[in-house]
Amino acid sequence: MIEAKNVSLQYPDGTLALRKINLSVKMREIVYITGPSGSGKTSLLKLLMGIEFPTAGTLKVLGQTLNEREMKKIRWLRTLMGPVFQDFRLVKGRTALENVMLGMRFLDLSLEEMKSRAQEALFKVGLEHKADALVENLSWGEGQRVSIARAVARKPAIILADEPTGNLDKENAQNILELLAAASRECNAAVIITTHATHLIDESKGRIIRLRKGSMERADA
Amino acid sequence: MVKHLFKNTNYFFQEAKIIFSTSLLSNLTSLFSMALIFLFLTMVIAGWWVSNHVIEVIQGEAEINVYYPENLTAAEVSALLEEIKKIDGIREARIVQAEEAYARMEEILGKEAEVLQYFTENPFGPFIEVNIYLDVLESVLTGLQKLDKIDYVRDNREVLEDLRDLAGIMHFLSYLVVAGVGVATLIIISHIIRLGIDQNKEHIKTLILLGAPDGFIAVPYLLVGLFLSAGGGIVAALLSVFALKYIYVLAAGPLPFIPLPSLESLTLKLSCLVIILSALLGLIGSVFGLHTAKID
Repeated sequence: MIEAKNVSLQYPDGTLALRKINLSVKMREIVYITGPSGSGKTSLLKLLMGIEFPTAGTLKVLGQTLNEREMKKIRWLRTLMGPVFQDFRLVKGRTALENVMLGMRFLDLSLEEMKSRAQEALFKVGLEHKADALVENLSWGEGQRVSIARAVARKPAIILADEPTGNLDKENAQNILELLAAASRECNAAVIITTHATHLIDESKGRIIRLRKGSMERADA
Repeated sequence: MVKHLFKNTNYFFQEAKIIFSTSLLSNLTSLFSMALIFLFLTMVIAGWWVSNHVIEVIQGEAEINVYYPENLTAAEVSALLEEIKKIDGIREARIVQAEEAYARMEEILGKEAEVLQYFTENPFGPFIEVNIYLDVLESVLTGLQKLDKIDYVRDNREVLEDLRDLAGIMHFLSYLVVAGVGVATLIIISHIIRLGIDQNKEHIKTLILLGAPDGFIAVPYLLVGLFLSAGGGIVAALLSVFALKYIYVLAAGPLPFIPLPSLESLTLKLSCLVIILSALLGLIGSVFGLHTAKID
């Protein structure tokens, strides 16, 4: 699903965010990307989402080589992904249900199917009772779960979660990781999670990739 | 894309409503500013259409009044009438007696006819009324010049020419105003759309990251532009109905002889034109605003 060969990313200001990353992620695989701040975790996710592009090496997502000249293809690839953003990126002034549906409005789904998927996803994250609540009235943890519901409801091929456990207590953080693992099983999706919280990772459920100063330090099977 | 449009109609209107209400006061001010601009346009176009109508009516009623010396006998007047009828391009010629001329003027002046009572004698003399085809006016006038027993000839050529000049000015002014209004509307709408995009930048970025196509993102903004401009057009159309009614009432008093077009037909045509034009300009302005907006 994801193939990175000697991928490097250098920002216009000269910062080398990633160097010679080699990575292969298969269907239903869960990959935890860990490392200290500034190690390149978010940069790697940006590459996978087509927000940034490799300055060296080749990166293939779902068989497509990512290239900044082919934005139409990138947009299409993004519809096959379920992103969970660090800051959630929920749209204020809209309810939790509307936010979850927003991620599906431009997919080939009927209105009924969209609504049913959104309700189901909110039920899975335990927020069915908050479907009609405006997202600005939700707690941090609830906002995080709406964001996951939005990603999961799309039944994506790849789920990309940027620090989904940040600012959560241990129990809630574990719940979030459990939700993502369940989504992987249900959608046959590859899940890539960046996190600081290495102590929460269940190594039996996924692979850990440690990044340090933009380089891969270790990839555990 | 079309399928997504229909499926999400409700969503697009909801989004447009949210975008509009985010800067409600500013958007309402813009809507009324545009209504005033469109009202100005409507009035200029009304002036153009009315002057064209007046010219058409006067052209259709092209006539020459031939005045003869009052000492001519009835037989001489009849002979003169027969000679006039022989000239090419004459549709009809008939004698109008002084009493009939007085009665006509009374009818034209309406309430103002009281002024005629100040004359001790009938100020109008008899004449021969000649209806002609307008395109042969010159040759008819030449033919009349060759006849004896004619005091003078009065035609409405000067009035027509003055009206034509006036219509030409109105025509030119209309194009100028249409162009001005068009540019002003495009600038205002595109600016509002850019402001809306700027206020919703994060929302748009999220949609982009989720893979939403540009068309999907653009629709609510197009609706806002359309609503603002067409809304201004509708308000202008309503205001123009009242304004024209008032102008017609004003014109009917001192200028009863001006053949104005029907008020209902004029306001209907103007309303349709201004609403369609405003909607079109709103859409174009929105597209322009979307193209020139910066997301990053």
